[in-house]
Amino acid sequence: MSTFSVRNGLIALAQGFFLAGALSACVQAIPPELVSAIDRIDQQLVALKAPEIAPEEYARFVRQWVPLRARVQSDDDLVRWPWETNDLETELRRLHEEGGSTLAKLHDERQAQQHRAQLNVLRVEERLRALSSQIDAIDGRIVLGGKPVQTDLLVKQARSFYDQHDYQRSIDAADLAGKALRVQSALLARELGRYADEQHIRSWQAMAQQAIEWSRTHRSTAIVVSKAERILTLYKNGNKVVSYPVRLGFNGIREKQFQGDGATPEGRYRITDKRGAGRTQFYRALVLDYPNQDDRRRFVQGKKMGRIPAAKQIGGQIEIHGVENELMAQTLGCVMLDNVQMSALFERVEPGSVVSIVGALTGRNAVATALAQLGEHGEET
Amino acid sequence: MNVTINRLAPLMLGAILLAGCAKPPAEQIDAAEKALKEAQMSGAATYTAQEYAKLEASLTAMKKEVTDQDGKFALFRDYGKAEQLAASAKADGERVKADAVKKKEEAKAGALQAQQVAQEAVKSAVELVAGAPVGKDRAALEAIKNDVEALKASLNQIQLAIDKEDYPAAQTQAKAIHDKGQAVSAELQNALAKVGKGKPSAHKKK
Repeated sequence: MSTFSVRNGLIALAQGFFLAGALSACVQAIPPELVSAIDRIDQQLVALKAPEIAPEEYARFVRQWVPLRARVQSDDDLVRWPWETNDLETELRRLHEEGGSTLAKLHDERQAQQHRAQLNVLRVEERLRALSSQIDAIDGRIVLGGKPVQTDLLVKQARSFYDQHDYQRSIDAADLAGKALRVQSALLARELGRYADEQHIRSWQAMAQQAIEWSRTHRSTAIVVSKAERILTLYKNGNKVVSYPVRLGFNGIREKQFQGDGATPEGRYRITDKRGAGRTQFYRALVLDYPNQDDRRRFVQGKKMGRIPAAKQIGGQIEIHGVENELMAQTLGCVMLDNVQMSALFERVEPGSVVSIVGALTGRNAVATALAQLGEHGEET
Repeated sequence: MNVTINRLAPLMLGAILLAGCAKPPAEQIDAAEKALKEAQMSGAATYTAQEYAKLEASLTAMKKEVTDQDGKFALFRDYGKAEQLAASAKADGERVKADAVKKKEEAKAGALQAQQVAQEAVKSAVELVAGAPVGKDRAALEAIKNDVEALKASLNQIQLAIDKEDYPAAQTQAKAIHDKGQAVSAELQNALAKVGKGKPSAHKKK
């Protein structure tokens, strides 16, 4: 072997080593795990509903991701020298970092939103339960008209949106429900606020005292009915004899204004007639002189002021009576007792006896207490 | 040899000038933008939000490619990739539009069905109220009547949401009304069951 061929052989070997070394030093253009990681971020953003809840952030992400992914696909078979810079990889790493930050931020925001929605829904549900319970306790449902249903529908929608993971709509519906609940509380306070008003309480106490005094001075019986407590008390010669629970009109908590309103009147009345068996459908009945002069004056004034519709009549036939149907809880405006108690009362009173029907006898009556509790809840909502 | 070069030179110049006259694929770009617009009009941003966002991104990428080529020396411009992106965006836009239309129709059908179910629940409650006995025994039903009236009024809200094409809201409202309608009917039936055991009363002033 000549020196020349040895040298050529060594050169060829060196070239071979160099080529092999260079080839093995070549790197793949883009690490596939980086692309997969960005793809996962995209999927997680979609799972978080980013296109809907944060369209701008998601658009910023995809505006970068879509062209970069296209470049990744077109550069798929490309290999580079180790010393070559790789702009695509740099951009992908930046997007990976940025997308990761967006994902973390949206995740935190979503968690916070879910928490807020959950709290709001639970709060309005609890508030609705409390309000319904208080309203039922004071028979105030009819005072609110259709409002309880409207509120109930909003609370149901808030829960439904929450279950669908639509937290923003859930929060919006719960906010509306909260407002509706406050409106209901305000309406109740306006309509029934007199039960918590000291002046009204003093006036009712005076009416009750007058009936008791009348009983004492006339050596007779008198009746006091407290609407808030649903209690009828019989007095004889100025002394308390017995108390019975009563039921009122279906709108009994209100002050009677006109025929058919279901309210039980407040005022000082006389028993004008006693109707025994066969003369009443309600077991026994004590007929009151409603409407009296005060009622008529209030009725005329109410019409003048526009509080009472022009076509309405003042009504009548208000009685203290027994029960026609044991299962019925309410009357159309009368005072109703269980038949055993009605029988005892019927035997003890005579026509001409005074009957004072008042809203409440103390400031700490059931309606005032319910209103105070509603007020406290209202501030929380 | 010189003769040959002299003859070929104008041809080569012509070819170079021809290549240098590469223009953006205006027609394809317009078609892609139209497809995006139509997808948007079909409610894609709501019903296929993810796909729509990606479509917008594709168009942004296409416009960037056109701008990049525009910025190059005229002889080196190549709008081939832009044309490819435009064609792809157009096809994607049509697909996104079709998906959005389909999903919107499904949402609408769902809302209309829920509306019908809610209407039936309220109708049933209205009929129960109408069949309630008249006179004193009706007193306990007064509050329920208010509820039924409120439910009837609330049916309008479903229609308003449908008119606004807010089908998820319409469906949720309808479900709430349906549930409440059934609850009110149950309460009413209980009240009527109690009333049914008593005698009907004569009408009296109160």
